[in-house]
Amino acid sequence: MDNKKRYYVIKFLVMTILLLAIFVLSIGMGSAEIGVSQIIKSLFNSGDDYLAKIIISIRLPRILAAVILGGALSISGFLLQVFFGNPIAGPYVLGISSGAKLVVALAMVYLLGQGMVISSFGMVLCAFVGSLLSMAFVMLLAGKVRNMSLLVVCGVMIGYICSAITEFIIAFADDTNIVNLHNWSLGSFSGISWEHVGISTIIIVIAIFFSFFMSKPIGAYQLGENYARNMGVNIKALRIVLIMLSSILSATVTAFAGPISFVGIAVPHIMRSIMRTSKPIVMIPACFLGGAVITLVCDGIARTAFAPTELSISAVTAILLAPVVIYLLVKRKEAGHGTN
Amino acid sequence: MEQIKASSLTVGYGNPIISDATFQLDAGEIIALIGPNGAGKSTILKTITRQLKKISGNVAIAGKDANGISENELAKKLSMVMTERVHPELMTCFEVVATGRYPYTGRLGLLTAEDRKKVSDAISLVGAEDVSGKDFMKISDGQRQRVMLARAIAQEPDIMILDEPTSFLDIQYKIDILSVIRKLAKEQNIAVLMSIHELEFVPAIADKVIGICDGRIFKIGTPTEIFTGENLESMYRMNPGTGENLVQGLLAYSKSLPL
Repeated sequence: MDNKKRYYVIKFLVMTILLLAIFVLSIGMGSAEIGVSQIIKSLFNSGDDYLAKIIISIRLPRILAAVILGGALSISGFLLQVFFGNPIAGPYVLGISSGAKLVVALAMVYLLGQGMVISSFGMVLCAFVGSLLSMAFVMLLAGKVRNMSLLVVCGVMIGYICSAITEFIIAFADDTNIVNLHNWSLGSFSGISWEHVGISTIIIVIAIFFSFFMSKPIGAYQLGENYARNMGVNIKALRIVLIMLSSILSATVTAFAGPISFVGIAVPHIMRSIMRTSKPIVMIPACFLGGAVITLVCDGIARTAFAPTELSISAVTAILLAPVVIYLLVKRKEAGHGTN
Repeated sequence: MEQIKASSLTVGYGNPIISDATFQLDAGEIIALIGPNGAGKSTILKTITRQLKKISGNVAIAGKDANGISENELAKKLSMVMTERVHPELMTCFEVVATGRYPYTGRLGLLTAEDRKKVSDAISLVGAEDVSGKDFMKISDGQRQRVMLARAIAQEPDIMILDEPTSFLDIQYKIDILSVIRKLAKEQNIAVLMSIHELEFVPAIADKVIGICDGRIFKIGTPTEIFTGENLESMYRMNPGTGENLVQGLLAYSKSLPL
């Protein structure tokens, strides 16, 4: 048992070091190549002004956002998987991210029409409302469709519908600001400000803190609703908390970076394989670290692969992570869980 | 001491399946719930474990109205093994059994040395030491049932509710599981309410039998009182005259069991 704990600690350490290394590398990579010594100088405010400006006001917030939002998205996926008792669940494939995107786009365009700009908190709030609306719809379907794979297909359809309506809204609202809106609606970390980073950090730290302290009932819930109830878990309250936490986490991500595909579904799976456990007390921090690493790498690819042209982050995450999801679907079928 | 007292209990999914059931389960007593498929055995058990809301009547646990007992308090008094399959991912059998400690652990659910000892003891009691470190999803059905029973034991209950604990197991596993249940009742004074389809085991294991059919309790009594040709014929709708032979066979088989 102590051996197991030691392995957890080693794996966490390796992931943390990996994250730090990629973090530093990411600051250097980009259309302006910056060396490590320059990075350190800039951070302590004694370097080249132009490069320091790139680092402080463009790259650093973007990289921090990828770390925080990527981690949040993975935890959101993990909580949804607990909720549905199935690893084939995530905010993107169930259409929850797209619902959030739609409401944010509606609010933005409406307010732009009134000559106003939506505040950061307003965006999170809209995304949260959109997430809950999609979630409510998914749960309504879940009552009728017992098969998880089918539910995912329905979720993908909801996602398409929401994205299509968002496209309509963006196409019909003519404004120069809309160009940004278009990038955002495909998923992108470009243009994230320090304000966005600050607000998402506050919300996400609180939500993760709560999730972590819900580890015990979440762990019980993994044995099924009835056994969890018999262990003394208040099932109704737990289900509400799971939905609220996963929605607020994915909503914050969508509000600032748009819908990011497959991170929420694939990262928890990868982390389960690495940590060899599904215990929430291990999985919640592991998902944060794993989600941060993977999202940071994907964003690095998105902004450097065809620089100065940027790819949308979802294009990169889809190529890297959708195969993981396909693997999951096939494996579940083989293991005879096809109907769950 | 009475552990469960059901009075005029009506249960069902919206419509009543069993009406007006009155029975009592004492400490250290094993009651077998028998009756044809779909008679409502599981429905009664699910109502007592609060998976299902009762339609009317009363259930008292250790002399206290079940509605007035908090989830955590109930968890310390009553544990269960149900027929539904669980699919815990990447959990060892030890970890599955350890979930039984839930009502006793702290905020983060970390196990103390004492908790670990109780989990190990429960695993030894059901004879599952050899699978303790294995993945729960990678062991046989019979072993899983043992592990689930150990989980229920680790919860240190006064009452155990078991829904068909022996179904789908081979004969040796059935005998093993039933002897553990008997040991728990007689040595630790745990009250056991279990549904069971294998009538041939009932006389050997149960102190009392509740026979249900046609939406109500048909009869309550000792195995000898319930196991008559006439009773079985009417409960299971058997052809008249066929029950007596069956009862003789069942009782003879039951006597031969090493329980």
